Amino acid sequence: MIEVRGLTKRYADRTVLDGISATFARGEVVALVGPSGGGKSTLLRCLNGLESFDGGSVRVGDCALEPGRGQAQASRLWDIRRRVGFVFQQWHLFAHRTALGNVIEAPVHVKGQGVKEATERARELLAKMGMSHREGAYPAELSGGEQQRVAIARALAMEPEALLLDEPTSALDPERVADLVSLLERLRDDGLTLVTVTHEMRFARALASRVLVLHGGHIIEEGKPDQVLAHPQHERTRAFLGLGNTAAN
Amino acid sequence: MTDPPPLRPRCASLFSRACLATGVLVWLTACGQKEGSGLERVQRAGVLRWGADAQGGEPYAMEDPEHPGQYRGFEVELADALGRELGVRAELVQNDWSSLIPTLERGGSFDVAMNGMEITPTRAGRVLFTRPYYLFHLQLMARRDDTTVTGLESLRGRRVGTLSNSQAWELLRGSGAQAIPYEGVQEPYIDLEQGRLDAVLMDDIIAQRYGLQRPGLRVVRDVAEGYYAIAVRPGEEDLRQALDEALGRVARSGELREIFRRWGIDTAAEQRMVEWTEAQTREVLSHTSTSRLDWNQVLLFLQASLVTLGVSVGAMVLAIPLGMALALGRLYGPKWMGVFTTTYVELLRGTPVLLQLYVLYYGLAGVLRLGPLSAAILGLGLNYAAYEAEVYRAGLLAVPRGQMEAALALGMPTRLALRRVVLPQAFRVALPGTTNDFIALLKDSSLVSVISVVELTKRMTITAVDVRSWLLPGALCAVLYLAMSYPLSRLARMLEAKLERA
Repeated sequence: MIEVRGLTKRYADRTVLDGISATFARGEVVALVGPSGGGKSTLLRCLNGLESFDGGSVRVGDCALEPGRGQAQASRLWDIRRRVGFVFQQWHLFAHRTALGNVIEAPVHVKGQGVKEATERARELLAKMGMSHREGAYPAELSGGEQQRVAIARALAMEPEALLLDEPTSALDPERVADLVSLLERLRDDGLTLVTVTHEMRFARALASRVLVLHGGHIIEEGKPDQVLAHPQHERTRAFLGLGNTAAN
Repeated sequence: MTDPPPLRPRCASLFSRACLATGVLVWLTACGQKEGSGLERVQRAGVLRWGADAQGGEPYAMEDPEHPGQYRGFEVELADALGRELGVRAELVQNDWSSLIPTLERGGSFDVAMNGMEITPTRAGRVLFTRPYYLFHLQLMARRDDTTVTGLESLRGRRVGTLSNSQAWELLRGSGAQAIPYEGVQEPYIDLEQGRLDAVLMDDIIAQRYGLQRPGLRVVRDVAEGYYAIAVRPGEEDLRQALDEALGRVARSGELREIFRRWGIDTAAEQRMVEWTEAQTREVLSHTSTSRLDWNQVLLFLQASLVTLGVSVGAMVLAIPLGMALALGRLYGPKWMGVFTTTYVELLRGTPVLLQLYVLYYGLAGVLRLGPLSAAILGLGLNYAAYEAEVYRAGLLAVPRGQMEAALALGMPTRLALRRVVLPQAFRVALPGTTNDFIALLKDSSLVSVISVVELTKRMTITAVDVRSWLLPGALCAVLYLAMSYPLSRLARMLEAKLERA
């Protein structure tokens, strides 16, 4: 469903992604882990074109992104973004809209849905997220966990085939993490592809069907979470997990 | 004054300052009303100080280009002759022409005013006048190609330019023509040539020097005659008497017409100045009038407020989208657009708006023929767009980057993301600044009087000179400005409160 080939991204003096290739299948849940600066977040942002890159390609279904930012590229970008949702670490809810307003914004103005139809669908999504009672609240009036659930509903309202989540557990209490896991499991069961960057190994273990370990712009190890996280083959992974385990406990 | 002063002493000092100011005013008024001491004062000082505006120029009184600080002109020579007759030195005191009479009335820095000062019923009701020293004609000029202008009767409802509060001004107001007030003598003829006026009515001396040199203009005819005389402070009858006699001697000796000849303004008609009698002086000065602030004046004030409001709203309606475009161009456009918008903002914000109005209206008159109102709205709008651009840029920068990213991530094109997500939030931040600018604009709009638009402040000055008081017209003017700006700031605050929740 999402296919990355030889993806390369450089800043002035630093290579952040160094020829990454990976495939994310339909209904798969993939966790991107690894030390800070390893390239996880950049890879995630490349997957829906939030970040431009210098080499390689990103393909979503029949739509491919290449390096550079031409006019033809722009329409493909919008295509890809409509098919791949993104949930930001800081959620970035539209501050001037209510929870409901946030969810219907894109369906109405990007997809051209009627307000009534979009509102009905948005209410269903908010109900699914357990946020029905807060639909009239503005982002500033919502807690972090609530904002996250509205942000997920907002992304789902575009009916994406995949959902990208950047550090979804970073602002949550441990008990809220369990709620998030069960919520995301339901989405996976609905057939959604999930890719998440995380530092939280228990979260990765509970949710992911596959783990990719990024270091220095390379995928240094990948496999089932039990296998990679319990018996890492690469010494860098071991080093990272040594730190990671300490942080997780 | 190193520590911030406590509240009470500061109030007290403000109060004492106010008392001092009031005291000075009372003292000044008292000075103006002291009786009969004028001639004595002049003789004791050994100098006759006469007020004039050297900017009025040739041939009245102007700065000598070869000797800066010294003056020449037929009135300078006349003043010297009169000084000689009184046994004192004559000294020109520079003063804005339109406030010569009010300044004299309040006992300002000069003893008399002599600067093409026509005897009008309004002025005669306010100050003393000597016998006249020059006979002039009010000359009507029009464009060569416009044959419809045959006299004042043909100008009913049409635009005729002249100096505000002059004899021609009073004549025009009574004639049914639309009198357009100017401060300078060049500008009305420029506007006539450009077709922004249908005619200009001014003293023949001015018409000959400033109007006839323009090839597109013609003299229609002389419509009235009038006299220049010396204005003396009310109550100083002795000084008036002495100047009257001195003038008579200078005229009868032939010196007066000799001066006129040297300046090229002598005609056969000036012989009447030589043969002038005291009876004629009494006759000329018998028509006095003092106007009061009546309902008609109040109506004119309300009309002028509408002009102020119209110009301000028009300019803001132009400045808001243009400023928004400039801010967006600078932040999101290509590099050349950034250079262009920065240059625009610095240029328009860094030069006086008065200069910009002048350039737009008079400077570009050859290529861009704008009416005064359109020039006023366009000029202020272009200027304020520079300020709005910065207000909106600040607003746009205040919206976190993540808002734009979140919109893009949902598949919105940049423009849609700007319109739906970034701009509404930037507007919230920019609203107080925009309100502020609009209120500033309401007051800045008084500058458009330099391009002959009569708005609230100009109306106030005209009326103040008419009714001999700045107090009532000033208060009325202030009330009207407040009546426009206060509801606006209330409205803005309500809007802010409404947006606050989001």
